[in-house]
Amino acid sequence: MKRLICAFALLILISSCGSNRKSAEQALLDQVDSTSLTDTGISEEVISDIIQQIPSPLEISVLLKEVGTEYDNDILNAASNTSKYNSNYKRALNLGIYGTDLGYTNIYSQNQDALFYLKSIRDLADGLSIGQFFDFGTISRLATNSNNLDSLLLITTQNFNKINSYLQEQKRSNLSVLLLAGGWLEALHISCQVNEMNGGNAELVEKIGEQKIILENIMLLLSFYSETDPSISKLMENFTELKDVYDQVEITYTYEDPTYEVVDGVLTIVDNSSSSINITDQNINDITRITASIREKVIN
Amino acid sequence: MSEEILKALTQLFAIITKQDGGVTEKERDFVIKYFEQELDQDSVNEYIDLYDKFAEYKKPGEETGEVVEKKKQRKLTSVRDSVKTLAICKKINKTLTQKQKVVVLIKILELVASDKNFTPQRMEIIDTISTVFNISKEEYKLFECFVLKESSAEMPFSDILTVSEKAPDLSGGQKYTHASLQGEIVFMNVKSVDMYFVRYLGSEEVVLNGFIMKSGIIYLFAHGSTIKTPKGDALYYSDLIRNYLSDLEANEISFNVKALEFRFPNGAIGLRNVEISEGPGKLIGIMGASGAGKTTLLNVLAGIESPSSGAVLINGKNIHQEKDSIEGVIGYVSQDDLLIEELTVYQNLYYNAKLCFDGMSEEDLHKRVMTVLESLGLDQRKDLRVGSVLDKTISGGQRKRLNIALELIREPAVLFVDEPTSGLSSRDSENVIDLLKELSLKGKLIFVVIHQPSSDIYKMFDKMFILDTGGFPIFYGHPVEAVTYFKKSTNQVDADRGQCPTCGNVNPEQIFNIIEAKVVDEYGEFTNKRKVNPKQWNARYDKEFKLNWNEDVDVTPPKSLNIPSKFKQTVIFTTRDLLSKLSNKQYMLINFLEAPLLAFILAFIIRYKSSPDQSEYLFRFNENFPVYIMMSIIVALFMGLTVSAEEIIRDRKILKRESFLNLSWNSYLVSKIFILIVISAIQTFCFVLLGNLILEIKDGFFSFWIILFSVSVMANILGLNVSSAFNSAVTVYILIPILIIPQMVLSGLLFSFDKLNDLISTKGKVPVLADVMVSRWAYEAVAVDYYKNNGFQWRFYDFEQQERQSDFQSAFLIPAIKDKLDGIIENKDNDSMKEDLEDDLSLVKVELQKLESTKRIEGINVDELELASITEDQKTAIVAYLDELDSWYKDQFNLAVNKREKLIGLLETSEEIDFDLNELKNTYYNESLADLVRNVTVKNRMIEYEGELIQQIDPVFNEPRARHPLDYRAHFFAPTKNYLGFTLDTFSFNLIVIWLMSILLYVTLYFELLRKGIDSLGSIKFGGNKTAKPKK
Repeated sequence: MKRLICAFALLILISSCGSNRKSAEQALLDQVDSTSLTDTGISEEVISDIIQQIPSPLEISVLLKEVGTEYDNDILNAASNTSKYNSNYKRALNLGIYGTDLGYTNIYSQNQDALFYLKSIRDLADGLSIGQFFDFGTISRLATNSNNLDSLLLITTQNFNKINSYLQEQKRSNLSVLLLAGGWLEALHISCQVNEMNGGNAELVEKIGEQKIILENIMLLLSFYSETDPSISKLMENFTELKDVYDQVEITYTYEDPTYEVVDGVLTIVDNSSSSINITDQNINDITRITASIREKVIN
Repeated sequence: MSEEILKALTQLFAIITKQDGGVTEKERDFVIKYFEQELDQDSVNEYIDLYDKFAEYKKPGEETGEVVEKKKQRKLTSVRDSVKTLAICKKINKTLTQKQKVVVLIKILELVASDKNFTPQRMEIIDTISTVFNISKEEYKLFECFVLKESSAEMPFSDILTVSEKAPDLSGGQKYTHASLQGEIVFMNVKSVDMYFVRYLGSEEVVLNGFIMKSGIIYLFAHGSTIKTPKGDALYYSDLIRNYLSDLEANEISFNVKALEFRFPNGAIGLRNVEISEGPGKLIGIMGASGAGKTTLLNVLAGIESPSSGAVLINGKNIHQEKDSIEGVIGYVSQDDLLIEELTVYQNLYYNAKLCFDGMSEEDLHKRVMTVLESLGLDQRKDLRVGSVLDKTISGGQRKRLNIALELIREPAVLFVDEPTSGLSSRDSENVIDLLKELSLKGKLIFVVIHQPSSDIYKMFDKMFILDTGGFPIFYGHPVEAVTYFKKSTNQVDADRGQCPTCGNVNPEQIFNIIEAKVVDEYGEFTNKRKVNPKQWNARYDKEFKLNWNEDVDVTPPKSLNIPSKFKQTVIFTTRDLLSKLSNKQYMLINFLEAPLLAFILAFIIRYKSSPDQSEYLFRFNENFPVYIMMSIIVALFMGLTVSAEEIIRDRKILKRESFLNLSWNSYLVSKIFILIVISAIQTFCFVLLGNLILEIKDGFFSFWIILFSVSVMANILGLNVSSAFNSAVTVYILIPILIIPQMVLSGLLFSFDKLNDLISTKGKVPVLADVMVSRWAYEAVAVDYYKNNGFQWRFYDFEQQERQSDFQSAFLIPAIKDKLDGIIENKDNDSMKEDLEDDLSLVKVELQKLESTKRIEGINVDELELASITEDQKTAIVAYLDELDSWYKDQFNLAVNKREKLIGLLETSEEIDFDLNELKNTYYNESLADLVRNVTVKNRMIEYEGELIQQIDPVFNEPRARHPLDYRAHFFAPTKNYLGFTLDTFSFNLIVIWLMSILLYVTLYFELLRKGIDSLGSIKFGGNKTAKPKK
């Protein structure tokens, strides 16, 4: 009988612990209740236009292979980090990051790693309610055979484009922007790391320097949301630091009239303008360091 | 008797007789006769020599002048003799029982009386002997009178009974019974040792147990003795004894059995025309060849079985029809052990008494129990555990006596005992029958089925009822007469002698040898044919025996029973059961170690380095958690079943005995369930505690426990049902897998409800078959409750629900309706597709109606949409409506997302709350469980089934819709349930369902529906049997 009483006492103790914990948060929950939909005031078309101007992060990956560096997955974001991303902000950013990582592993035909990233992408997409763009039945079937990897990647890449447009349609372009920012950030980071490891490569340095323009676009996009979203405004701050370094990079654009040529019987316009980038080693070092630190914050 | 004692006795005799005048010839003859009785011829001479030596006996003529010298020394010798006597008596004291000592003392008195030489010195020595023998002064006086006086009138004691033609002077309180004879027969009752002695004072040939009684000589009147006078009167032991006891108790009981016939269910006759008439204070034996129907007769007499015709009347009340009026009057001791093995002898009796006597104080109860124990000689054993037949702590005889004691304690007026001596040693047998005899002498009417009794036992019965094969009564009368009756019937030599003339033994075997004597064929071999068949014996019986009917006594039969209230009964049952369980160390150990052990095995095995980088254990990534929940439920079921499955079977015999008390079945069941509930509570508590500790499940302890506990209780009651329906524990244990495996299969985890046989499954709903399974309710309750209310999810659940459901509507449902609508408009003139389109349209209508509960559709009545008449305009209107709704859902979705993100932001920045989203999720959230209840692996997020679109994804966010108030059905893992217009969360709803199941099972248990069902199945006869039966 005594035992029984003890047991019940313990039970009451345990159940009472739970209620205390909850009451402290109730106030915050009430506060959240009043949340309403916010409007950026910027039309979806404008955002869409800007997004279109940003090149795919995959381009960098292609360049990396051309430079002839070896595959190194240490510079990527580990797939096992997926479980750490529990807010939409983190999910979207890291979905972008993993997208770039997936492209990188693809170019080097690292099938096993690619599968890990696929799974991470799937989980994050699911968390963002955009899981329907991944037919997981097909994916898992394809994934069992490494020969299918090409088609798998094709599907995934196409899906990223679809996701972007879908999110915009869903009035969730903030996620779209974050997705983009994450992808871009990872691409920049990989480039910087590879560049550092190779002790400086002219092509890469130029590529890194070119990112000044893209950074400006991304910052513009982020600025649309920074007022309503505290997380984005924080990211903005971080990017501003990067922008300060990029401000020291000069891109001179030399205009020359375009010429007309007939190629295979078709009249085409040839752009004769060129741009030259003026970037110092110090700039590169700063960019590498700051990029890494921003990324570190994002992936953890 | 040992040589030493005989020597001592010889000395005693010698010392006494040599006093005052020395040994006379008469005295010496008496001693010699005594020796002859005790010893063989050779030893007799040896002892006579010894006696002569001690008594200083000189043969006539040898006397010399020494005599004179001796007389001078007389004084001195007597002192020496006294000391000697004392020493001898002390020696005797150590070896002889009190009864034997009484016999010795009476012998000595008789010795002195033989020559009537009562000198003071002799008497003084005898007096000393009686004192040393611890015989009270009064009894000694009684002995003296009885032995020395020549008529009963001179024996003024109430312990004296005279049998004569004319009553003598009874002023001294003597008792008297009439019999026609010359002179008188005097009986003496020695109360302290419960013995009877008899003396005949007269000159006729009075026969005691077949020998002639010599006048004046004292005989021991033992159990079953008979005295017959020349005029044919018979004085039976029991009748005489009753004279002594008649003033003790007056039980007014008449027991009349009239033309009793019993048929077995298969139509065979078990008893034919049994007629019995008895009053109080009789011990009736029922004998018969095996299979003659003895136990059947006993059962019918006791009211356990109903006769096909005839009646058993106790005080005029038909015991089979007026059960209430004879409640507590009848006691029944079956052949089986009806003891609670784990309890002590005392406890067995005590709780039984408690159930019989409400309102009796603890002290009185204790006294009563102790009295019964003492009277059965069990008081020394009272604190011993009864133990099982294999693990004996008390002997078989003691067990039997305790069984009888259980009935005795409530002192039923009529007691039925089935073969109380089977399997007992002859000494134990005698003790048991002795006890019954004593009871009958106290006024109880006792029927005993007896098999192969020894002579002594046989003689103790007042009457014997003998049945022959086929239930024919063939004898009803005094036991010893049975022998003479059957001997006479077959014209045997010496037919008058029922007992052995020298030893007084009766051989009951003889009776059956005569009854069943076989005809011998021409080769001298026995054939199967009996000389006299049962029918012939019965015919002779009908002729010879005329029953003297006892008048039906017209008073309520005496009963001492006072049944406690139902609540009190429950308390008594519970205490009794609890004590018996507590004393069973193995049972306790197994039951209370079982749960923690299973929890340890289960939890320890499924705990692994589960974190994504496989460096440590994180609850969040433990993929075994969903299976752990199911296994826990199965364990709870298992423990619940096994702990209860044997309960009623084990008690069945005890229940049979207690059925005579008319105790409350409900109280019994409640007490059982109460104890089982406590055991289940502790077991499941230990299980959850240890399991959750090992797996680091830091939340949902209480809800998990309450579900497991409820499941276990349900299993307890299910087990009791099974236990009450089947006869052996083995059957029950074989049954357990049959009960458990469907619970596993239909728990919802092992096999998806959507992928079951089409006969069973209903898409989008839990199959009805699974609704019968407690495991499914329990599993759903735990899984949904844990997912919704764990320490991480509880704050996000509502947002996520809004988010996911809005997303589903806008991303899947609305586009699907639009598609259908397009298809309808495009092909509506195509006749070949008409049927499909009708279906599509009805689906669209159903889904639109569902959507209308959110927002009304303007300008169109959905019900009136017809395939033939649907127009482009209507479609446009519907699409517009759907677009509007879609946009609304998108807003809902974004709102929910924003709220959640904002909450996370607030929590992370809050100074009061230490919040780490990731940490919290690792601790409380389980990914596998989330995947399960959100059904994320499903291929089609939405399917079409029976004219409806059914959401497959996210069941845990999908609120079910009831079609009508009584519709309880919902999809698996629904977050809430609807019934009768109420909406309850799944946990509470399922918990209620589980308890309703338990209550339902209690009802079936109470009415023993399962048992009745099985019985009715068992009574179905197969065709062959029916035709084989002879027609009447």
